[in-house]
Amino acid sequence: MPKLTIDDREIEVAGGTKVIEAAARLGIMIPRFCYHPALGSVGACRVCAVKVLEGPVKGVQMSCMLDAADGMQVSTTDREAVEFRRYVIEWLMMNHPHDCPVCDEGGHCLLQDMTVSGGHGIRRFPGKKRTYPDQDLGPLVQHEMNRCIHCYRCTRFYQQFCGYRDLGALSIGNRTYFGRVASGRLESPFSGNLSDICPTGVFTDKPSRYFGRRWDYQRTPTICINCSLGCHAVTSVRYRQVARQEARMSAAVNGWFLCDRGRYGFFYASLPGRPRQAAVKGETTTMDEAIAHARSRLETLPPDAIAVNGSARSSLEVLAMTERAARLKGWRGPAFFADAGAAHNVKTAIARLEEGLAVSLGEIGQADFILVVGADPINEAPMLALALRQAVQKGAGILVLDPRPVCLPFGFMHVPTAPEALGAVLGRLVKKSIGPAGLDGPAARFYASLPDEPATGQEVLARAAGLLAASRRPVIVCGTGIVASALVGLAADAALLLTAAQKKAGLFYILPEANSFASGLLAPPESTTDRILKAVVDGDVKALVFVENDPFATSPDRELLERALAKVELLVVLDYLDTPVSRRAHVFLPTQTLYESGGIFINQEGRAQYSAAAFAGGAPILETGGSDHPPRVYGTGLPGADPQPAGQIMAQLAGEPMASEIGARPEYFGGSTVSELAELPDVEAFPEEGQRLSPKNLPADRFKSVLPPSSAAESDELEIILTERTFGSEDLSSYSACLETREDEPLAGLHRRDAESLGIREGDGIAIRTGNTTLEFAVRVYDNMASGVMVVPRLQRLPWQGLGKRVRRQDIRKA
Amino acid sequence: MRVDLIDKVPSGAIGTLWEGTKAIAAGFATTLKHVFRPPITEEYPEFRRVLPARTRARIVLTRDPDGGERCVACYLCSGVCPVSCISMQSAERTDGRRFAAWFRINFARCIYCGLCEEACPTSAIQLSPMFETCERDILTLVYEKEDLLVDHGGKDPDYNFYRHAGVVTAIGGKGGHIDEDPPVNVRSNMP
Repeated sequence: MPKLTIDDREIEVAGGTKVIEAAARLGIMIPRFCYHPALGSVGACRVCAVKVLEGPVKGVQMSCMLDAADGMQVSTTDREAVEFRRYVIEWLMMNHPHDCPVCDEGGHCLLQDMTVSGGHGIRRFPGKKRTYPDQDLGPLVQHEMNRCIHCYRCTRFYQQFCGYRDLGALSIGNRTYFGRVASGRLESPFSGNLSDICPTGVFTDKPSRYFGRRWDYQRTPTICINCSLGCHAVTSVRYRQVARQEARMSAAVNGWFLCDRGRYGFFYASLPGRPRQAAVKGETTTMDEAIAHARSRLETLPPDAIAVNGSARSSLEVLAMTERAARLKGWRGPAFFADAGAAHNVKTAIARLEEGLAVSLGEIGQADFILVVGADPINEAPMLALALRQAVQKGAGILVLDPRPVCLPFGFMHVPTAPEALGAVLGRLVKKSIGPAGLDGPAARFYASLPDEPATGQEVLARAAGLLAASRRPVIVCGTGIVASALVGLAADAALLLTAAQKKAGLFYILPEANSFASGLLAPPESTTDRILKAVVDGDVKALVFVENDPFATSPDRELLERALAKVELLVVLDYLDTPVSRRAHVFLPTQTLYESGGIFINQEGRAQYSAAAFAGGAPILETGGSDHPPRVYGTGLPGADPQPAGQIMAQLAGEPMASEIGARPEYFGGSTVSELAELPDVEAFPEEGQRLSPKNLPADRFKSVLPPSSAAESDELEIILTERTFGSEDLSSYSACLETREDEPLAGLHRRDAESLGIREGDGIAIRTGNTTLEFAVRVYDNMASGVMVVPRLQRLPWQGLGKRVRRQDIRKA
Repeated sequence: MRVDLIDKVPSGAIGTLWEGTKAIAAGFATTLKHVFRPPITEEYPEFRRVLPARTRARIVLTRDPDGGERCVACYLCSGVCPVSCISMQSAERTDGRRFAAWFRINFARCIYCGLCEEACPTSAIQLSPMFETCERDILTLVYEKEDLLVDHGGKDPDYNFYRHAGVVTAIGGKGGHIDEDPPVNVRSNMP
């Protein structure tokens, strides 16, 4: 632990810490451009010069390249160092254009700050300025290369940190250029971070281009709800419009960055077509009247004939109030999951995430072997892929067991495995990598129950087993979307077995949606949307309440949904989105988004995090002014501010005693049947990194999972795997127009063997007969996926809802 | 030495009368003198004095020598305004030029401090000597962009920001601005 003195203040830091970091710990901000805590040092910009008065190397040194050493004396204010930095700034500004007023970085530009603090104001250099051509980098990032100061942050982030190759440094010397070989959309799903890490305005945020300055934005710490990871973000609001989202540093979750789905997934909140007025039978009315109308209609029905559906995109407050209302009134539900399989997987994951086993996203980067089972990281939880890459960079091996053609930005082993065989392969792999010695009791019995027959011709598995055997901190990443219900528990048992074999094993689940964890905690075991819809069709349920749930986007059975909606007598919809079901509602009640109400979301590792309210609501000025100047009226109140938090509306629908409790926080959770929630801190005192919830008792089904029998026989059916895509399948981000061009082509995937047996070639169209309808898809043929399955992305543009779970080969023909 | 001033005033009725008459006569003499002098009162509004160009009164938005709107809606004036009377929304024209989609100054709030003019990097916002902004309806003191725009360059007639800025607009492409080299050919290996 070297102890050094910086500006006459002593500090002790860990060995290997750079002087620039040590100074930051003292609160001394040494100027920097190329240095970034996540990207490390390269010593390219020369602006972090300090003077070393005492130490191994004396004189002016680059503090980002200098390891802190014992007895070192550093001065950041020494005249020689200050002078050095001033000259560096001056020559960095030599070619910088005179365009700050029209540059979006102005106001939060590191180069502006450093120029002003370096004391450079008047240009002395009489020569001309260098210029560069710009490129069109797609809908997310704006390129203005003249402003570049050649710090290499962009290419280090893009290539080294993320593993994508289509943006980099071109040419040499004074002509060095950062861009693509040719104009075109950036391929990386992390490209939006370029506008955060660029210290000047070469890469700026395109969707919020020219919308406002940093000082005008209301900036609020929020949580991203576009997948289950719960990454930290900063949301910028101006003129009642959510304009921009940036990454917020969080060591435990996302680190410094954010994926493009999260960064640009907020546009639903300020969409011009967002419903902001209550409506009864299509006629707009006031909130109070609509609520009173809905309540009087609900009161005429027996409680058992009313069913409530929620979804995992709601905050914990909304979910808890919905659950409480249903419980107090005796309504059916609430159903937070589409079907029993999804509910079971999530509930199992929650029960098995015991203390000591669960790892955070931040800890993934420290693992030395990662086993990804039934998960497609880049599509289901993009930031997980980035975390996995950091582990790979440090030497970790990664094995993916998944039927889909998984594509990740780093080298990994992939064993395409049919969903029902995942458990057997996982069991075999774990068994092969550890010996029975040292295991006792249930662990030994579980070990013995695992299959040990060698996998046929799978040398990849043997290699992976070797790496797993040698690893000390393995992590099992398990998806819950496409896997059979037994696998979720099996993954936990496998991690426990690795722990029993003296490894520091970790377990990491991916859940389907942002608040799936809370939904799983609160949902009654047997109520699911499909059951409720069936009850409507059977005539048992007469009224449906949908709370921030669009069954057209989530329900796999479109036909059942249509029949239920045609039959239901009263359809009450609470939502902030304009959805097919909200348009058909008998009573529509507009709700507030997370940005207006704030709320708690529990991510996939059980980390409860509070996302603060970013603004008070109301329609954007751009909308009320018709993109011209705002209306010239004086008045109180906000236009378009009718929406209320969905939880409050539920309390009013339920009537007493809930209606009089609105506003007092304990009522959200105090009456809850879930004891974990009662311990959550008050939102004002919520810890920055959230609070982890873990099961009170050790799960009862430890080491009890049983391998499902896997049928190796060639079936005459193809299993349908509905899969997430990074862009286009997630509900909320599909409302972002800027992400539309990022969506994949709507193609179904088939293994080459299946395609050949069906006589289908790449790019062919196929028609699938299911029930009475015929669905048409274009096909992409893969070698790196399991055979016997058909992978269909759940894109909003694809008619996946009618597919069901399996399709017979003879029902597939070329279109 | 003690001087008693009261002693110098003549005492008695005659003395008082004399003093009073003298004072009144002196007053009338001054008045009489001014009767024959030209008046210095300016008959506003019939007479309007030409104020110095730098007088700080009503704000205008000027145009560059090419007739384009100078304001690039950079938000510096609204940022510096101590009473927050300026608001705007920037947008982009089809040629890439940044401009104010709308620009509003609430003169009921403005204190004519001139900080906006000082902050303006394009000489767009300028305080003019026009001070006659008194209104009965306070809403008429809220000026929109079309009320603020003038058709001249004000105190700085020659400056055109976009001739220097280096961003591509109809005024000039890359390398087409003042003191710029032609764009670097990234694909060349020639030194």
